[in-house]
Amino acid sequence: MLLFITRRLLFALMLLLAVSLFTYLLFSILPADPAALTCGKNCKPEIIAANRVRLGYDKPILEQYWNFLKGIFVGRDYGTGAAAFSCPAPSLGYSFSQHECVTTLIARTFPVTAYLSIGALIMWMSLGVGLGSIAALKKGKWQDKAATTFSAIGVSLPTFYIGLLVLFSFCIWLRILPFPKYESPFVNPGAFFTTMILPWSTLAVLSAASYTRLTRNGMLEAMNEDFVRLGIAKGLQRRTILRKYVLRSALVPIVTIAGLDFAALLGGAIITESVFSLPGMGRMSIRAVVESDLPVLVGTTMVAAVFIVLANVIVDILYGVLDPRVRAK
Amino acid sequence: MTKRRIIGAVSFALVASVLAAACGGGSDSSGGDGTPKKGGTIRILTSGEQIAHLDPQRNYTGTDLAFAGSTMHRSLTSYKYEAGDAGSEIAGDLATDTGTASNEGKTWAFTLRDGITFEDGSAITCADVSYGVSRSFATDVITDGPTYAISYIDVEDYPGPYKATAEQQTAYDKAVVCDGNTITFNLKNPVADFNYTTTMLTFSPVPKAKDNGEGYDMNPVSSGPYKIESYEVGKALTLVRNENWNAESDDLRKAYADSIVYEFGLEEATMDERMIADAGDDQFAVSEGIQPENLQTIFEGDEAVKARAIDYYDPFVSYTNLNNETLSCYEVRKAIYLALDREALRKASGGPYTGDFADGFVKPALALDYAKATLPEGLNEDGSANVEAAQAAADEAKTKCPDVAARAASGLNFYYPDTPIWQKALAIWQDNLGAIGFKIKPEAVEPSQYWPTVMNPETEYDIARGGWAPDWANASTVIPELFTTGGGFNLTRNSKDADYAEFESLVNAARTNLDRTAQGKQWQELNQYVVDRLWALPGTFLKAQSIWGSKVGNTFQWGPFGAFCFGNLYVK
Amino acid sequence: MTDALLDAVETEASTNVASIEGKSPKQLAWMRFRRDRFAMVAAGVIAFYIICAAFAPLICKVLGISPYELDGDALNDFGLPKGSFGGISSEHWLGVEPGTGRDILARLLYGARVSLLVGFVGTILTTTIGVIIGVFAGYRRGRVDAVIGRIMDLTLAFPSFLLIIALTRPFTQRLESLGVPEGNPARLTYIVLVLATFGWVYVARVVRGQTLSLREREFVEAARASGAGTGHIIFKQLLPNLWAPVIVIVSLSLPAYVATESTLSFLGLGMLPPAASWGVMLGDSVKYYRADPTYLFIPGTALIILVLAFNILGDAVRDALDPKADRQSLS
Repeated sequence: MLLFITRRLLFALMLLLAVSLFTYLLFSILPADPAALTCGKNCKPEIIAANRVRLGYDKPILEQYWNFLKGIFVGRDYGTGAAAFSCPAPSLGYSFSQHECVTTLIARTFPVTAYLSIGALIMWMSLGVGLGSIAALKKGKWQDKAATTFSAIGVSLPTFYIGLLVLFSFCIWLRILPFPKYESPFVNPGAFFTTMILPWSTLAVLSAASYTRLTRNGMLEAMNEDFVRLGIAKGLQRRTILRKYVLRSALVPIVTIAGLDFAALLGGAIITESVFSLPGMGRMSIRAVVESDLPVLVGTTMVAAVFIVLANVIVDILYGVLDPRVRAK
Repeated sequence: MTKRRIIGAVSFALVASVLAAACGGGSDSSGGDGTPKKGGTIRILTSGEQIAHLDPQRNYTGTDLAFAGSTMHRSLTSYKYEAGDAGSEIAGDLATDTGTASNEGKTWAFTLRDGITFEDGSAITCADVSYGVSRSFATDVITDGPTYAISYIDVEDYPGPYKATAEQQTAYDKAVVCDGNTITFNLKNPVADFNYTTTMLTFSPVPKAKDNGEGYDMNPVSSGPYKIESYEVGKALTLVRNENWNAESDDLRKAYADSIVYEFGLEEATMDERMIADAGDDQFAVSEGIQPENLQTIFEGDEAVKARAIDYYDPFVSYTNLNNETLSCYEVRKAIYLALDREALRKASGGPYTGDFADGFVKPALALDYAKATLPEGLNEDGSANVEAAQAAADEAKTKCPDVAARAASGLNFYYPDTPIWQKALAIWQDNLGAIGFKIKPEAVEPSQYWPTVMNPETEYDIARGGWAPDWANASTVIPELFTTGGGFNLTRNSKDADYAEFESLVNAARTNLDRTAQGKQWQELNQYVVDRLWALPGTFLKAQSIWGSKVGNTFQWGPFGAFCFGNLYVK
Repeated sequence: MTDALLDAVETEASTNVASIEGKSPKQLAWMRFRRDRFAMVAAGVIAFYIICAAFAPLICKVLGISPYELDGDALNDFGLPKGSFGGISSEHWLGVEPGTGRDILARLLYGARVSLLVGFVGTILTTTIGVIIGVFAGYRRGRVDAVIGRIMDLTLAFPSFLLIIALTRPFTQRLESLGVPEGNPARLTYIVLVLATFGWVYVARVVRGQTLSLREREFVEAARASGAGTGHIIFKQLLPNLWAPVIVIVSLSLPAYVATESTLSFLGLGMLPPAASWGVMLGDSVKYYRADPTYLFIPGTALIILVLAFNILGDAVRDALDPKADRQSLS
């Protein structure tokens, strides 16, 4: 087992390196000239050329990548003379439009995204698995149809649409909640909850569909399995069978997907954060796309990738735990 | 100033003096809401993620200048903090008066007041002002700001204080001289209205010890009645009172509110909604504009809402640049202009609330410099296309300048920012020009890349949009900037035109004319000069709309900037 | 354990199973499917949508409407539709689009073409690639599986949505330079390709997992023992048992692709005007929540109905194909 875990972790590290290289190369083929974007209206070609040198965009792409990697371990210096400054390790670059080291920006925006993701995870798992179990147990009856219909609506509509509808409904038409204004839970828990409840519900409704389906189908599959019928024949309690065999077996695909979804959210729920004015990583990255702020883009992509890779490793390990047949080979 | 935000439909605003008093449906633009009192928190709502630049030498958009100037950054001179025409007059801010010109406008001297201090209590000295100005020369670090100091001040090859050698610094100190309390600027050429230039925050003081270059944008030192308490990008900027600001030294700023909060990152749809609802904290808020979709609701709905909103003229003019090197034939340019259905184009961007059809590049708000220009014959007053006249011009072009006419028929490179409104406009352009046999080759440009792309001399456009606002109330910041080779924003490529030499000498004469009224007449003639040759096609005198909460006072639109006089807003 | 004992445990037995006539599995599936009324309605709805999309030009001609024709008269000075309910009238059954005055019904019909195209092509492409690779990896194990697994991990590690947005313009330009017609064909191609590039992994991963479990089953071992080749095992043993999760995925991905296209349009990266797509309409409509709420609900409702139909259909097909679907051991 230990060997299994170690191998996975080592591989994860190599994967991250590959991702970072790929990302850098990918963004290097963008036609947008990052140097041109460091100055606004008064952008004479000489200034652009000077900035290109100053920011290191004139160097070959692999050298830029190497500087980027180095920066993660030893930090990075910018500017010359009296205007010099540096970003301490781990440095992911510097954003000239936000005047801040990328690492600082990510450290500041990540907690918001984290709160969003965790709350959403709890809500959609409860909603999804709960509805799915009901649907499976009452298969064919109205509860089944209602549960699946409700969840189906969730997955059908794009995030921004549902998000805006939720926003309009609760804040404008019904006036139940105040407009979202994010505050840290340690500073103003009341505002935190009234703000976050909207995006949490939006994400929950959106994601619950997949989980309702998967739980329902997974449980139905499991309920038809021979080992379950064996359990019934052996005289086991229905509840025990449900818990120990059906749910456990049904959890296999659910765990896979939940892990990946959660990790993806951590990388920034872009649309949700924009609609609800949450100062998270997702909104920061969309701004970086629009402004072609490459350091921020690369930085957020890397951080998002770290979470996804980590999630994969954890899921693989969990797979091994849940399904001994996988581990055995 | 250019329109920095092309993506959104919101424009920064300027009020026409006449309209400010008249419109707003009973709103109290400058006086009718009783006496201002101290206290409370004013909120400003925006969909932006941060203020582009709080660094005074890098600040260059109307709203940001109005905000930073009225709260944190004092400059040598400033516009008066008043509504209407008075708001376009200047007065001494850090200086005792509006400066003294000598040497026929080549030398300007200002005497600093007593009792002016930074937020930490230290006195503002001449050296601080000089240092602030010198920063604007370091264009590799201090980016985006106006470059008037660089073009006007008599010093060559000064790279800014971070990189300057001792010699270079000495050369600068000879051009900008500090003698006790008096700062003297030696200019390369006479500038009749240099004391208007000094209203820009380029001339704001910066304490050298606290200057952290690139990062100064996030923590500038205040010389005004407010200072930064916290600044979180994407969330909010909070200003609180600067205890070390001396009210006696400042005739202009009133600083009624105890604090000002700038809220960032709001979803556009919700901003209008919050302002209409006028509930809770939003009663103390102002917002950056009104979405076109909600104009009808606000201006033709509830009277109470209408009373809190205003529709007025922007400082901005939109127009179309033509590449006069490739379209070197007047008849072709005239044909294009006459074929355009300007009414349809206006409707595509929102209808009459967008603005009026322009007859030039100088807006009526610049009263001294504006005169109704004569437009090319055949141009319809109502903005509709005149296809026959356009076709006649196009036919004339075929004989007069067959190469250019052929180019127009085969395809003109039309560069535009890739936004929904522009995509609609493109369809109209294609339709209009198609009617006279001209073809368009659309080149969509990523909006954030638009200006760098078209300003690159290697880009081969035939037609490219333009937008401009005067940097201060003088057409000297319009005509030369847009149409001379030295201008910062000349996209007409007209230097090879036969009349260009004459034009340039006329412009130089106007620039150095110290008689403001006579100068105004010269600008009027020069505007007509450009219109007669159609180096660019006049477009729209733009308008904008604003709305404020029911408990906010002093909500007049500040003439020169087209924004609220943020620092003087008060809570009712 | 004898069959008799097992039967005694079952609480219900369907007539089909008890019947001795021996219908083929396909016929049995079809009979089960036809009994589900919801499914038949859903199938009908989907067929209706497809027909409307396919014959959109004809329908518009018959009704005398067009998705491109500007109707300035239907708008007031502010560019908003005259009259209530977004300008619904005998001329414009579902109202007009603010700003341009284009007929909404016509745009809905034409938009269906784009949205369904993206949905179908994207789903088919993604599912095909994903299933093939997933089964192959799951069955072969060893080095093949390892390599495929690493590729999947690498692809999954990227935050796909962010990259899709960031790379839209440059990649569309690349496609155009490679010869794809400029404008919407290039954008459509980009959307479908990029969704498939990231989407196949999701499918493959689940399929691989199921295959890993399945291949340990007795019937697979039995087949292997009796000398069946890999191909036979994959196609005759494994794939038929993978229908269920695959159909779940298909019925969820199609509407998900339509949703992605609309999000891209919301961000200004989708279909170029004057083309209509549901995404463009959805994205445009949210601005008018106050001024023209009818416009807000029309494309949304159309989309909801389509997706509901797909989900119900997916469920029903799965239930019909699963030979053990009739047994309800625990309810």
